[in-house]
Amino acid sequence: MSKKLKQIAIYGKGGIGKSTTTSNISAALSTLGYKVMQFGCDPKSDSTNTLRDGKYIPTVLDTLREKNVVKAHEVIFEGFNGIHCVEAGGPAPGVGCAGRGIITAVQLFKQQKIFEELDLDYVIYDVLGDVVCGGFAVPIREGIAEHVFTVSSADFMAIYAANNLFKGIKKYSNSGGALLGGVIANSINAPYAKEIIDDFVKQTSTQVVEYVPRSVTVTQSELQGKTTIEAAPKSEQAKIYKTLAEKIANHEESKIPSPLEVSELREWATKWGDYLLALETGEISTKAVGNL
Amino acid sequence: MSKFVDRPRYLCALSGAIGTINALPGGVPILHAAAGCGGNIGNALNAGAGYLGSGYCSGQSLPSSNVYENEIVFGGELRLQEQVENTLKVIDGELYFVVTGCMVEMIGDDTNSVVKKFKNHDKPVLSAETGGFKGNSYKGYDIILETLFREFVKKTDEKNSKVVNLWGIVPVQDVFWKGNIKILKTLIEKLGYKVNTFFGDGETLDNLRDSGEAILNIVVSDIYGIEPAKVFEEEHNVPYISVQFPIGTYATEDFINAIADRLGIDKKFTDKLIYDEKKQFYSYFERLADIYNDIDLQRYAVIVGEVNYAQALTKFLADDLGWLPELVVITDLLNDTDGYKDIIKSRFTNYISEFTPNVVFDTDTSSVKKHLNKIWKQNDGSKYYDGFNPAFILGSAFERDLADDLGVPHLSVTYPISNRIVLDRAYAGFNGALSLTEDILSVLVNGR
Repeated sequence: MSKKLKQIAIYGKGGIGKSTTTSNISAALSTLGYKVMQFGCDPKSDSTNTLRDGKYIPTVLDTLREKNVVKAHEVIFEGFNGIHCVEAGGPAPGVGCAGRGIITAVQLFKQQKIFEELDLDYVIYDVLGDVVCGGFAVPIREGIAEHVFTVSSADFMAIYAANNLFKGIKKYSNSGGALLGGVIANSINAPYAKEIIDDFVKQTSTQVVEYVPRSVTVTQSELQGKTTIEAAPKSEQAKIYKTLAEKIANHEESKIPSPLEVSELREWATKWGDYLLALETGEISTKAVGNL
Repeated sequence: MSKFVDRPRYLCALSGAIGTINALPGGVPILHAAAGCGGNIGNALNAGAGYLGSGYCSGQSLPSSNVYENEIVFGGELRLQEQVENTLKVIDGELYFVVTGCMVEMIGDDTNSVVKKFKNHDKPVLSAETGGFKGNSYKGYDIILETLFREFVKKTDEKNSKVVNLWGIVPVQDVFWKGNIKILKTLIEKLGYKVNTFFGDGETLDNLRDSGEAILNIVVSDIYGIEPAKVFEEEHNVPYISVQFPIGTYATEDFINAIADRLGIDKKFTDKLIYDEKKQFYSYFERLADIYNDIDLQRYAVIVGEVNYAQALTKFLADDLGWLPELVVITDLLNDTDGYKDIIKSRFTNYISEFTPNVVFDTDTSSVKKHLNKIWKQNDGSKYYDGFNPAFILGSAFERDLADDLGVPHLSVTYPISNRIVLDRAYAGFNGALSLTEDILSVLVNGR
């Protein structure tokens, strides 16, 4: 029976930890024996950095700029544990159209049927934070990723961004595109953070896939140019990433998200603001986060 | 680093797509593009192809989403949806085809997902990404064919051993495409086969839909339609051969033999067909014997055109008409990596007449004179000078300037042709060669 390729897209507010999370997921999946490709969709082209000892790889678009015709193999580079690393690349800040660049890069791979050739189990698209035009939504169009996961912390701005992304995902989900697999809760350390995120996913009819705390282990590994899986495989944090990877591997059912309206989101935020104030003044207490 | 093309003989991919869809029976293109694309393309397709006309709903009636700044900023998919809905209500077509322009490709409009909403309409609605920047008209032709082969042609394992498909003659870019297709189709029908050309007289979309039952695809070109042929092979398990576009007795004989050979037809049968065709051809052609010799109708020639026509015209002039086509300028945009240039150059060798033309690849109209000066010694003021005359220029309407410059007669046969009206005239095969001979030599006896 032929292997079914699973294509996943990771979205989330800029700086929230998408690339860190994605690279660790890729690394973890590879240690579980899967063949993985990580496809960075950001003009910064830094998604696969930590899979390559901190080194940047030539991007699809830079290569296309030099030569008119590019074979996909020329822009796939091997990273940690045999992970196939690709960076779409794009223009320098302030010029051109990065969105069109993403379209061009993703379509190049689709046309050349690379995924079948490499016999991949997973393709993970790590998409830049601000989805400002149609091009950045290409990975969740029909025929590309089937599941989207949003990375969010419990900070209001990250949640607002996640909710906004749900609107975009909903549009594509409705026409055969990717469905929402859930939220990867990042930087969850304070006890109330878990509660906030849990409540948010309840309001938007989705789920939290895993809670990932902020950890100095991650910082240390990144400064070495490696993922936590590679630099500190026996650490607690590495275990969390492995669990996350397993959950994603076993994940089957994704749904159409139900984003909140702006006013609903405001009300929701106010409610939590009041609650946190009450916590601070000692009116209420709360139980600790499970995996700290 | 790319250079500009001086007076290109093609338009963008979107135009090629529109030209191709218009040529399909009942085909209605719906543009998802900025306002202006449709109008400009409509004019170029009409006036450059011997006055093709607007037909049922082309030209300025082309359905188009006409996106403005609003749609560029906020996305054009809703506008497109509205446009498709309205077109389906108002325009009576058999096949609707949404094609995209540069701007909507840049903002990332998901055209496919909009068009999918119409998949239950009683007539098929297809879509293809034909952003102009993807290439020139020929690319548009290829994209449309590929889409049709993937999504419209029915998949079937039952092949009909008496059916073949034929393409590679690009509507509009080959201004005489309709007549040419008719001639080549008739030749193969005489071999005992039903031929689907998709664009020919009397053909329907059902023919196209059922074309998956063919046992062979005949691509009449070295480069146009080749990628779609590969798709057809992948999707429908039908192999293809690539043959050169034929004008004249030698080329057409090769054309018939190549196809007959591939189909496994008895050589005796093919030989008889060729004999009969040639007999008829020469019964007309021999009329020229007198006047050709009496007033010496032999000429030097310069040929300017695309891949299909350049090799066909040169061979015809050298081998059938006994002319001296010293310079051939092939104007296609070809990059060096695909190896096509060598294949194309080889088509200009081994002439029966043993003539060897100078073949160059140059996209620029203004370069033709430079190339001529390179291959033909200029008059340096010496007493006796072997001039490039009497000569003839066979090219497009653009070559009139060169002809005036050299003081020689000229005939427009390659795109763009703005100084002739073309209806069903054809230049392919045996009969087409007779028409071409009439047209060329008539120019020479014009003053009598």
